Amino acid sequence: MRYEDVVCPFCGCLCDDLEVSVEDGHITEVKNACGISRSKFMNHGANRLEHPMVDGKKASLDSAVKEAVDLLSKAERPLVYGLSSTECGAIGKAVEIAETMGGIIDNTSSVCHGPTILALQQVGESKASLGEIRNRADLVIFWGSNPTEAHLRHITRYSGMPKGMYVPEGRKGRKIIVVDVRETGSGKLADRFIKVRPGSDFELLQALRACVRGRELPAEEVAGVPMAEVKELADQMKEARFGIVFFGLGLTQSEGRHMNIDAAVGLVAELNRHTKFVLTPMRGHYNVAGANTVTTWQTGYPYAVDFSRGYPRYNPGEFTSVDLLSRGEVDATLVVASDPASNFPVDAATNLAKMPVVTLEQKTTPTTMMSKVAIPVATAGVEAEGTAYRMDGVPLRLKKLVEPPKGVHPDEEVLDMILKGLKEAKR
Amino acid sequence: MNSIEVTLISGRTARQGMGLEEGKFSERYTQSVTAVSLNPEDASSLGLVKGRLVKVSTEHGCVTVNWGGDGGLGRGMAFFPYGPWANQLYSSSTDGTGMPQFKGIRATVSAADGGKVPTIQEIVDSMRGGKTR
Repeated sequence: MRYEDVVCPFCGCLCDDLEVSVEDGHITEVKNACGISRSKFMNHGANRLEHPMVDGKKASLDSAVKEAVDLLSKAERPLVYGLSSTECGAIGKAVEIAETMGGIIDNTSSVCHGPTILALQQVGESKASLGEIRNRADLVIFWGSNPTEAHLRHITRYSGMPKGMYVPEGRKGRKIIVVDVRETGSGKLADRFIKVRPGSDFELLQALRACVRGRELPAEEVAGVPMAEVKELADQMKEARFGIVFFGLGLTQSEGRHMNIDAAVGLVAELNRHTKFVLTPMRGHYNVAGANTVTTWQTGYPYAVDFSRGYPRYNPGEFTSVDLLSRGEVDATLVVASDPASNFPVDAATNLAKMPVVTLEQKTTPTTMMSKVAIPVATAGVEAEGTAYRMDGVPLRLKKLVEPPKGVHPDEEVLDMILKGLKEAKR
Repeated sequence: MNSIEVTLISGRTARQGMGLEEGKFSERYTQSVTAVSLNPEDASSLGLVKGRLVKVSTEHGCVTVNWGGDGGLGRGMAFFPYGPWANQLYSSSTDGTGMPQFKGIRATVSAADGGKVPTIQEIVDSMRGGKTR
């Protein structure tokens, strides 16, 4: 059996042109995939969490769900976290669980593009779909992002190489600029690489904005970049027919955080007085944009939502997971499709280990190892269907290609079992 | 022991992505996230040779890992792929934004005086207060 137009469930590119061959219920070949995507499809069965576990011992699914319901219903300040590597149906159930418990729901954007959301809520955004960019962009800027390591087909499929309707020459018809603190693989293939001093992106963005506006700055250099080069770059941006700034965690995780994005939006707004310019965050996990979207349409807010008063309240910095954990405020956590024990700073991860944790996960991870209850689930986009949102906000349908291991269900089904149990426990 | 002050940057790598899809306990994942890159001149000033371990310290923690190439870095910079090893070094403070500062923090790097790279099991056990399951 051969499946065409398969959507890859790894990064925010959601490449939808994969061809996957399945024989005897096993994936035997993947075409058009990048190295990471191929690794995901070919290794989806490797190192699996084989059984539901309670206190490190094998348990039945029913008893694991019962234990999960018991400890979550007893918690006074429960947190639901993760959600960026699962499909939208599961995210919807997770929101309902948080509301039922009067708990907090947060997703991994709080440690990736949360600052982007903070800035865009303040100042708005000028955006375009990846299809428009592919067909129109003649100036492509990657700022604090390195697609050659994190979004491997982005340049070949969407932004750099493809021949578009108004860019018929493909790569020759586009200029690529990379701004970063080190010369990455992306920097090496760019037409221009600009090395910015670490922690100084804000200054460079603001200086560019001033230059685009025609202001003279009495400085010889800004953020380690000679003033002549800053002016040249500003002119190049103004002269573009359709420009795009793809920005990554180099802006959101460094000094300034959301203020860096605010400055990038300001620069793009200024450029729109002269030409067409847009910006797009390089979303990492394949459905982190979906986690924001579903949480927004259900609660009004994209992440960091607290239901403890019976209605949703939003406050990043207070209801975000790293803050909640480092303050020791949470007394139970439900983790879905994420590994905070690996991804959070050590203090927050250590506090997670001190409380009862329920984790839904495919493989054994540091988080499943420190969980009181760990329940294996199907891999969305491989063993379960569903919807995911691409980095530009376009929803795409994930396919089910093979059956999950026996007795293993999709995230949405397991979350529904927990939800029903929690509602029952409230009566 | 000779040491240098660096600006520490963490980030994604393709090897890390491929490794994590094999599993967090796979050899490929461990290798991909336990190597810190340094500018060649900085590495040379520390007397690093292939196979030598480095100790990376911040005001928040320290970890012993492998030395892994130049990473396109200028002098005074170090790159550490995201993962449980790098996270031993970062503060949980988010300055009210929800986001810890994973990029651009001050760190000290020296050639490790003995020691070994902790296993992922050892890191999990230390976070669990020394308890092994």
